[in-house]
Amino acid sequence: MKDFHTKVFSGRPAAHGIGIGKVWQLREPDTTVHPKRISDSEIEDNLEKFLKARELVGSEYEKLKYIPDDDDLEEIINAQIQTIYDPEVTSSIKQKIEDEHFAVEYAIFNTLNDYIQLMENSGSTWAKDRTIDIVSIRDELIRATKKKKKGYTVKEGEIVFAGEISPTAMVQLSRKKIAGLVMEKGGLTSHAVILSQSLGIPCVINVHWNRYDIQDGSDVIIDGTTGQVIINPSWKQKEEYKRRREDERKRFEKALEWANKPNKTSCGSEFSLRANIEFLEELPRLNSHGAEGIGLLRTETLLFESDEFDIEKQVTFYSKVLDAANDHSVTIRLFDAGGDKLLDDSEFEDNPFLGWRGVRMLLDKKKLLKNQIESIYRVSGKFEKKVKILIPMVSRMEEIQAVKEIIKQIKENLSKKGIPFDHDVKLGVMVEVPSIALMSEHVAQHVDFFSIGTNDLTQYTLAVDRGNEKISHLFDSFHPSIWRLIKMTKDAADKYNIPVAICGEMASKPEAAACLLGLGIKDMSMNTGSIPIVKSVLCSHSFKEMNELSDKVLHAADLSEVHELLDDWRVL
Amino acid sequence: MVSKKVIVKNESGLHARPASTLVKTASKFTSDFFIKMYGYKVNGKSILGVMTLAAESGAEMELVLDGPDEEEALEAISELFENRFNMAP
Repeated sequence: MKDFHTKVFSGRPAAHGIGIGKVWQLREPDTTVHPKRISDSEIEDNLEKFLKARELVGSEYEKLKYIPDDDDLEEIINAQIQTIYDPEVTSSIKQKIEDEHFAVEYAIFNTLNDYIQLMENSGSTWAKDRTIDIVSIRDELIRATKKKKKGYTVKEGEIVFAGEISPTAMVQLSRKKIAGLVMEKGGLTSHAVILSQSLGIPCVINVHWNRYDIQDGSDVIIDGTTGQVIINPSWKQKEEYKRRREDERKRFEKALEWANKPNKTSCGSEFSLRANIEFLEELPRLNSHGAEGIGLLRTETLLFESDEFDIEKQVTFYSKVLDAANDHSVTIRLFDAGGDKLLDDSEFEDNPFLGWRGVRMLLDKKKLLKNQIESIYRVSGKFEKKVKILIPMVSRMEEIQAVKEIIKQIKENLSKKGIPFDHDVKLGVMVEVPSIALMSEHVAQHVDFFSIGTNDLTQYTLAVDRGNEKISHLFDSFHPSIWRLIKMTKDAADKYNIPVAICGEMASKPEAAACLLGLGIKDMSMNTGSIPIVKSVLCSHSFKEMNELSDKVLHAADLSEVHELLDDWRVL
Repeated sequence: MVSKKVIVKNESGLHARPASTLVKTASKFTSDFFIKMYGYKVNGKSILGVMTLAAESGAEMELVLDGPDEEEALEAISELFENRFNMAP
């Protein structure tokens, strides 16, 4: 029976764009292989089967290579071909057939599994992400020995749902002109994600569904910019997303024309657009997209990956980021675990978003906090005036004082040891809990800058858990109360002459960015991919226009009025 | 037999793409090619062997070449390490 209920999932946005189509689920056949033994007389036949399979799979990959103007892809496929013809793999498979009398399927299975295990156990993220490639080669070689022909039945315009996906499967699927990809697993550095970015296929990862949630052929919309996946959308939602998809395409074409121009409105008023960064892999895009440094460096992934929150590792990571920022500043947000991102030793909480997270956790785990602050200060010596520290999830003044106390100790220690550091590293707070926005006049006297985190500010102000599907439609950063809290924060910052920035996803929507600039917030940080479009909109309007917009938005009585104002402005 | 110690200079380490370049270059020569690192010794013409070293930036390794064109091979391979595998810095 077909289920027509609308269901919304949210995952991690991995490749930009909107995909609208029908669900197609990728089901990989079971490839477990049992250790079957063969007799002497079968050895020759099994060896031949292997060489034929290798030839067949190798030539299939060769064919995949010829995608015009995509060197990245060609290099990836080349590495796969080298794997297929890897001399060590070949000799190991031959040896297992000749000496150990294993059937060809098991010889392939066993040999490649050894490598898969080695890669999985290696400490490096890229090596773990690469194991899917080897799994796919293993399965294709085995399939080829059985002479089974594989082909995907996916049709043009469908949206693929998969647990995980190999790059070759990805290339084959993209040739069928799929409209999007939704994956359960996969990191942002996995080949499938890199490929979907390079091939322009919208992609959302870390989406969790069970087999009753989705059915082949159901309508689906995916938004690779926000991470939303809507199964069985309403007619209205479909129209809305179609319009957005068309808008996106047109705008991006135009935006590229603005790429190298200075950050100035049409009347000459200056602003700064910076990037929100979490992975080293994102750094190469800073320059090409015109980011002025990094307005929000998330450190959770780094710290989750290293065991002891090792100072050396952190110093290396921050230095790489600062190098890539090219003389612009980098705002490092202290470890913001808790909520949806949990440390191993944290206990289950009924309300994690209202729980032990951000600075609350850091102040209980002083060693972690001290290591991070020491790492940041050590780096600051090399990058004078470029490093800023941002405290997450502050809700009380006492928390700021406590962090300052620790900074003071660290500075004294470093001075004693004669390690150079920047004596004037700016310390700011995230304005994401309404209490801080409401108290901003007072807080402004004790910190060097504000950075408004609109996602959490929205969630806490509207009392909407954005992960809860039943109410996620109520999560809307454009709510008039959010604009007023932003304005309040900005006024307080002006009064005490400290800078204020925005680092929530809100600024990545051009009309919202215009409204923020209209409020006088000239420093915005967003995902790198959004910068060109936002820049093009800000550059092509005058401050007066944006100021008029923000005035109206501030006086809006309800959410729909804000949306109307912003929508009207967008079509201007 | 010739050998030389080299350091992985490209920032992201010896991951899939540089490993691919390395194997491609090494395979042009007839000499045997081994890489020694942390007590491991892998066939330098085996991309999986090279990748499983998971060599990070700054890692030191020893290149060992043995065969008729060992000198040219060593020169060509060391140059790759020197040029960061022709990858953007």
